[in-house]
Amino acid sequence: MTTLYIDDKEVTVPANTSILEACRMHGVDVPYFCYHPELKVAANCRMCLVEVEGWPKPAASCCTPVAEDMRVRTQTETLKKDRKMVMEYLLIHHPLDCPVCDQGGDCKLQDYSVEHGASQGRYVEPKRRTEDKNLGPFITTCMTRCIHCTRCVRFAEEVAGTGDMGVLNRGDHMRIDSIVEDTLRSELAGNLAELCPVGALLDKPSNDVSRPWELERHHSTCIQCPHGCDVIIESRGDEVIRIKHDPEGAEAWICDRGRYVYDAFRSDDRLLVPAVRKQGELLACDWNEALTRARELLKDKKVGIIFSPSWSLEGLTSIRLLHDAVMNEAKVAFDLHRRDMRPFAFEEGLSMSTAEIEAADEVVILGSDLRQRLPILMQRLRRRVANGKALTRIGAMNYRTNTSPGKDALIRPRDWPAVIARAMEQLKDVGKGSPAMEAWLERVPARHEAGKLLADALMAERCAVLVGEEIRAHEDAAALIHGIDLLMRSAGHGEAGDDGRNLIPEGMNAQVLSAVFGDIRTGVGELLQAAEAGELDALMLVGSDPLGDGLFSMQARRVLRQVPLVQVGAIGGQIAEFADVQLPAAAYSEIEGTFVNMEGRVRIADKPLRSIGEERPLWKVMMRLTQELGADDVPAVSLDELRQKAAVFMPELADVFAGKKGAEWRMPTARNRNARCLPSGVEPAMALDIVSRFSMYREGAWARASGLLREAGQLFALPDVLVHPHTLRQLGLEEGECVIRTASGEITHHVGTREDVAEGVLFVAKRGGAGDLSTETSASLRGV
Amino acid sequence: MSMQVDTTQMEKVSFNAEQLEEIRELVARYPHPRSALLPVLHLAQQHFGYLPMNVQQLVADTLDVNLMQVREVVTFYTMFREQPTGKYLLEVCTNAGCMLNGACELLEHMCRTLGIRVGETTPDGLFTVTEVECAGACGGAPVVQVNNVYHEKVTAEHMDQLIADARAQEDGGVA
Repeated sequence: MTTLYIDDKEVTVPANTSILEACRMHGVDVPYFCYHPELKVAANCRMCLVEVEGWPKPAASCCTPVAEDMRVRTQTETLKKDRKMVMEYLLIHHPLDCPVCDQGGDCKLQDYSVEHGASQGRYVEPKRRTEDKNLGPFITTCMTRCIHCTRCVRFAEEVAGTGDMGVLNRGDHMRIDSIVEDTLRSELAGNLAELCPVGALLDKPSNDVSRPWELERHHSTCIQCPHGCDVIIESRGDEVIRIKHDPEGAEAWICDRGRYVYDAFRSDDRLLVPAVRKQGELLACDWNEALTRARELLKDKKVGIIFSPSWSLEGLTSIRLLHDAVMNEAKVAFDLHRRDMRPFAFEEGLSMSTAEIEAADEVVILGSDLRQRLPILMQRLRRRVANGKALTRIGAMNYRTNTSPGKDALIRPRDWPAVIARAMEQLKDVGKGSPAMEAWLERVPARHEAGKLLADALMAERCAVLVGEEIRAHEDAAALIHGIDLLMRSAGHGEAGDDGRNLIPEGMNAQVLSAVFGDIRTGVGELLQAAEAGELDALMLVGSDPLGDGLFSMQARRVLRQVPLVQVGAIGGQIAEFADVQLPAAAYSEIEGTFVNMEGRVRIADKPLRSIGEERPLWKVMMRLTQELGADDVPAVSLDELRQKAAVFMPELADVFAGKKGAEWRMPTARNRNARCLPSGVEPAMALDIVSRFSMYREGAWARASGLLREAGQLFALPDVLVHPHTLRQLGLEEGECVIRTASGEITHHVGTREDVAEGVLFVAKRGGAGDLSTETSASLRGV
Repeated sequence: MSMQVDTTQMEKVSFNAEQLEEIRELVARYPHPRSALLPVLHLAQQHFGYLPMNVQQLVADTLDVNLMQVREVVTFYTMFREQPTGKYLLEVCTNAGCMLNGACELLEHMCRTLGIRVGETTPDGLFTVTEVECAGACGGAPVVQVNNVYHEKVTAEHMDQLIADARAQEDGGVA
């Protein structure tokens, strides 16, 4: 720790802190443009000048470390003059177009100009004009306003990892440029608009729409991926204008999916009024009529309920209450991406915080397309690699990582047992075997060298294992996860709260789902199978879209054609086509509610936007339905009552709602210590493994309803079916039309190639003609 | 002029074994490969004549930096050229000393003789004339560099001779 004096006040800060950071820590206002807490120091705007006693000239505080007994002055007459000159210099070429600039009112340059600048410039020469850039669908530019702070350049290099922005030329000709026309190849591009301290890079979709002072800000939680980032929804009246990163939130950035999904809030796909189907046509009606029709379809019937995990905790609890009150026999399922419903040794959710993962000695990603799934966690891991720390990745592809993990192995899903077995052998060799391990090993004859990477990483004291969708969706997932659990136990990673067992969930609220639905949940596959066999009279989809998401689209299509459907949700989407009744539920921006992210972090949104139609919070819809279906007593008639009911399933919640747990408290993930599943030893039927490819721009009903995300998705699209070129060559085939055969039939489809995917794997996007391939696990290829 | 490129559409180029050896030596002088960027760019410019985007990409790949970092350096220094030049690059110093000794008149004479403007290349691809700042040989003003070889106290006649010699050599080469 270092003690120094800032404006005669004694402060103590960690050694090597910069003067600027020391000032920020102690609430001393020092102006700056180029400094950003998450980026490396560039020290090129010269705005943060301070005086240090004994030094001949002012120092840039962002790049000057503190020293013992240093006496810093931030408010002197000389500095006032210096800042005025720096401002004048920065404004030489800056146009005076604040009235037509979107940054106006929320602009550092404007604020500092008032605070530190002169009311009039002395520069009379012609101003420079710079060509604007086309940076894709999310960022609009006015490069003449640029003050060359290089925040965007550093962002592209350090955060996005694309490094495709830079400063070209010098002196008066200096300008920011990008390599690629039309797009920034980053899933974090939207952050640039927030990052730019002036109006050079602006948010394109919300450009020329509003003024910052017209907007109301609502703290909320993004539900677009399990990360559940803190966001601020900015609205004018009831209309959402944009979504921004919450500066007080847990993470430094948000991804484009979470930011631009707001386009869906106002899309035509929103369910805003109740509707019933009459003579084949969905017609808007009032709530009573819709509920009556729902009662006809559901009362005393055998019902299957599939719901989305991204409702609020209260909404999810209300589904359980509905089940317990009037639908005791109903089958309930939610995970569209899980084939193996046996209990997992460690259930979905992270045992560590993302910060702890970033800081761990070793991090192993097992079968996850993290950049698309959890872009903000991937960004942390990227930074980890940039800081020289280890990252291991084993999985079916290594494109889209935006970093180069030091240790990388490409494997097929069918190789997982052999990989884990190889790691077990290695632990046995160093005397860390166990009888349970022997039993597991007995079932797996093969060994795969990728297991060495896993075993090596497990030897570290703190190892974070991130188990991804390639394992979670595996037909033998429970056995694989049991195997990983055995490995971790043997390697000495105990069962503490932060023991490194991180199973990446498919959606939000994983811990809540385990607690509330653990005893009644069933698999989506099983539920659909029952429906197909005629065992169900009706289906209720609550925000879930099994046609667009997950691994059961083909079965779901068949079932929806034959079973009556009650659709409850905020987005109609392609499910609407099959709905007999639609009950509109409020969007996550429109409710008071609690959300739990993959780390178990609890966030309560309490300042929602108003509903824009007749939609109601899910819990109200569920309770009203409960009443309609004949419950003598509605289980909860207020949010408080509902929260008390939720606390029955999760006792810690009582303290959370009473405000006794801090913002840092995390709900623990469930463990099934007795889950002992051994590998089935069943080989897939066909030669190639199918891996379903996740797209952050397309997956999830919300994303599909957002025109902005659709546009980006098209821009970044890869061929729908991808294989390694060797795989094609071995089969004597060439890139182009091929016949893909699976257990459910044959289709002819274009097959593209990439060298950075595992050989023997067929990567399929969940859309178009290839969409239903995700329902199968293996396939074979032949020529047309 | 747009500087944006589609890196996937570029023709691939490579260094030969000798150059790679030289690059290895250059890289070994610094704690980090990227520090050798300037000397490697000079080497590349010497070899390829100028630094088009595919050569910049080659340098980026060789030193494990990204293309943008190479572009930043190439555009910062005026002696790196992104456009091709003629076989003979005539660089006339027009800074104070040379200017006082008739460099501007010499430059004008050269342009008239070759039928091009400053910065342009003759249609036969032989000569490019550019203006440079102080070449550091003010004692011999005016100075003209012909492909990095200094010619001092250059007169119009001297220049005409140089151009004629070069032409003759080229014609001889073809015959």
